[in-house]
Amino acid sequence: MKTALFPESAESESLAAEYGYDSWLVSRFMRYVPDINDFLAAMERQPARYLRVNEIKISSGELKTRLESKGFELESTILPEVFSVKKSPMSIGATTEYMLGQYYVQDLSSCLAVDALDAKQDQTILDIAAAPGGKTTFIAQRMKNTGSVIALEPNEKRARSMTFNLARCGVSNTAVFRLDGKDAEKLGTKFDRVLLDAPCSCEGVIARDVTRKTSHSPGDVEYCSDRQEKLVESAARLVKPGGVLVYSTCSFAPEENEMVVDSLLHSGHISVEPITYGSEGLTRFDDHEFSGQLKNARRLYPHLHNTTGFFIAKLRIN
Amino acid sequence: MKHREPTRQERTLINRALDRWGVFEFFHDKRILLEKESTKVCLLPANLEPVLAKLEPYFAGLEIGELKKQFTPAMPGADLFARVTNNGRFYITVSENAEKLVLYGRDIMGDSIISASDDLDENELVIVLNGKRDAIGVGRTRFAGKSLFQKERITVTTLLDAGLYLREEGD
Repeated sequence: MKTALFPESAESESLAAEYGYDSWLVSRFMRYVPDINDFLAAMERQPARYLRVNEIKISSGELKTRLESKGFELESTILPEVFSVKKSPMSIGATTEYMLGQYYVQDLSSCLAVDALDAKQDQTILDIAAAPGGKTTFIAQRMKNTGSVIALEPNEKRARSMTFNLARCGVSNTAVFRLDGKDAEKLGTKFDRVLLDAPCSCEGVIARDVTRKTSHSPGDVEYCSDRQEKLVESAARLVKPGGVLVYSTCSFAPEENEMVVDSLLHSGHISVEPITYGSEGLTRFDDHEFSGQLKNARRLYPHLHNTTGFFIAKLRIN
Repeated sequence: MKHREPTRQERTLINRALDRWGVFEFFHDKRILLEKESTKVCLLPANLEPVLAKLEPYFAGLEIGELKKQFTPAMPGADLFARVTNNGRFYITVSENAEKLVLYGRDIMGDSIISASDDLDENELVIVLNGKRDAIGVGRTRFAGKSLFQKERITVTTLLDAGLYLREEGD
């Protein structure tokens, strides 16, 4: 899908210069990100820190007590297993509790994608492009380690790293396959739930990697969008009738989000179900008009939701 | 990574070990398989099997231990056993200072042991717990009974520790 580019204005050029972005990117942000000044200022700050309690091993209350006794300050979030870390006397990856797999350092946005999946005990779930395993381990946790999770990760180094996280978190219901998502049909089975957190241009995590302000190109968006379209079509074919496909990215680009979902909706028998937290998905961008159902998808912005940038659509396959 | 059923003899050894660690009841309805080309013992959900029969996974289930002449718990197994056991005989508890050292793979001094069963013999496998009863390692006793508590001597050799996840991931 061709990346939409817009004429640069005095405002976009001035903001691009002020915050160190390529101006084509700021011109685009101005079309799909609300409150551009607040947004660009928020992207300069370190993202909020969250941890997700691994309830396979410990209750949220018990972990909170343990970490608070070490000087941590934790605040509840919209998800009962996830705490916002307001203060930590040491790196949050340097505690015994972390080493023992009692929690996972994971952004709230990423946990919300798993929450949208609505995983239940004894289901069979497919997690595409799964490494390093944050979402996989959360899915297993929500399933209380029952049923089965098939996690796909084609890259050996990433798959290996994922196995350490699965072991550390005490996950027993998961198998990792070195498969690309588009080859998932080789598994020869259909799933109650499929999560596709698609490889993307990562616009949403620029605050973590500021080099993306200038290294990111319109070609990246186009490349990712084409790949995402193939992946989401393949993922939809793997969902049992009545099942759920959650599509997510850590990008703000409509070409990687609403456009990908909208093209899938044209195949019929698919609906976008509401998600409570976040801003509505776009129903138009540039000269494209999308299905009104895209309003049910959610966009998460650092300046509005205190998360990294994220997009989530919950699709019911009928 | 392919899996196979344990032989009758292997099954007996595994069952004896599970009983020793006080987790036999917990595992009685669980599926335990061995990795085909290693000595690893894995807990696998039964409903993964149709998929595993079609394609070979890179990794599956939870490695609970290793079976050679005897069953030795792996760290994920030790962690699970500590959470579900009904028999504390082969579990020892260490002080907070010792916990940090164990997590770096260091052996355990007698002064650091807070509790251990008087019935432990020399050369016994034990699961090492911290004060909150989390499994932090697997060790082997160098002494029996009350001699485990002797001061200024290493009395338990650390064989495995929970820090290895992060150390190995970094390799």
